Amino acid sequence: MTASMERILRREMHSSRAPLAGLAATVVALLAIYILLEAVLRAVGQPPWLVDPLAAATNLASLPAGVSPLLLGLIGAVVMLVGLVFVLNAILPGRRARHAIANPRAAVVVDDEVVASALARRARLAAGVTREQVMVVVSRNLVQVNVRPTSGIPLDGDTVRTAVEDELDAMELLPRPVVRVALAPMGVVGV
Amino acid sequence: MNGTPRGANRILLALFGLVFLAVGALLIAVAAFPAAARWWQGWAKPAAESLADLAHSTALPGQGGSWLWIAVAVAMVLLVIAMITWVANQGKGRASTLVSTAGDAQDDGAAGRVAIGAAVAEQALKTALAERSDLVGSWVTTYELRGQPAVKVRVLPRQGVAPHTVAADVAALVQALDEVLGFQTPVLISIGAGARSRFTKAERVR
Repeated sequence: MTASMERILRREMHSSRAPLAGLAATVVALLAIYILLEAVLRAVGQPPWLVDPLAAATNLASLPAGVSPLLLGLIGAVVMLVGLVFVLNAILPGRRARHAIANPRAAVVVDDEVVASALARRARLAAGVTREQVMVVVSRNLVQVNVRPTSGIPLDGDTVRTAVEDELDAMELLPRPVVRVALAPMGVVGV
Repeated sequence: MNGTPRGANRILLALFGLVFLAVGALLIAVAAFPAAARWWQGWAKPAAESLADLAHSTALPGQGGSWLWIAVAVAMVLLVIAMITWVANQGKGRASTLVSTAGDAQDDGAAGRVAIGAAVAEQALKTALAERSDLVGSWVTTYELRGQPAVKVRVLPRQGVAPHTVAADVAALVQALDEVLGFQTPVLISIGAGARSRFTKAERVR
């Protein structure tokens, strides 16, 4: 049970790369279908659709000739960029913006946006300001709370921090992020 | 938690990525450096000529074609089939049966088989979650995970709802379901904020 739970959690915390895999498969399949068409046309002795395979091979072999070097370099750069995107997607961990929540029965994952929204509500109630004056950014290891106080009403950063820490402790996030509270030097008028 | 072959995705993406990288680097080198262009022509011209010779020597009697092109066509068909298989394996793994156990004479006096459909758990949980006003929506699906069914509960709470209370409540519902069914399946509770959360890394909420 726990082994499958851990597997579920690991898979939910990382991206599956399914869309990019579909894109790569489509590109390769389209290339293959085109080569298939030309090869079959050649095999049955019909004229080629776009280019004869042997002529294409000869043209490729004498490559810098016949094409402007700028265009050739540009095509090379685009192809290289596509390859770089594929390779980076294959190598990088691909973490999703999610945290796990400890639970004895089920594997629980929560999107960082939900965590941010709950923490923003708590910070807003602790600071006594409106929704528009609080912004919370949640990343894997950091919760950044930005509060713009109401002009003329002093605001204690530690109160906000304690409230957010309390809420975060209750959530039992894995991994647990660090809280950083920033009070804006300028107050807001007319709220 | 579906059956997407993630290892295969990474390996194939790395493979195609390296091929694209190599081809792109070659094109840039050939376009930019005369020495590279000379090297490329010195290597590729004889290769293209030997390919043409091969096509001539394997010509089919009575036709203009060659066995070479049929071999290429077969290889391309295999490649296309492999690509279709790869795509078809993405996101697979939905299950329709939650449990299927064979009874026997020692069990309760009757031989036979008990099967519980996945819809039992799905609809029970969905109905229980539909009553909650702090959730915008909920989806319950069953996946097969290494031959074992596992239930995924996706809930979308309203803005500002504390995720751990939602998680605890859904887990309590799951435990109630365990009591009713008499067995436990692995359960994933996924608390989200809609499609938007998929495209951004750090989430900003006012």
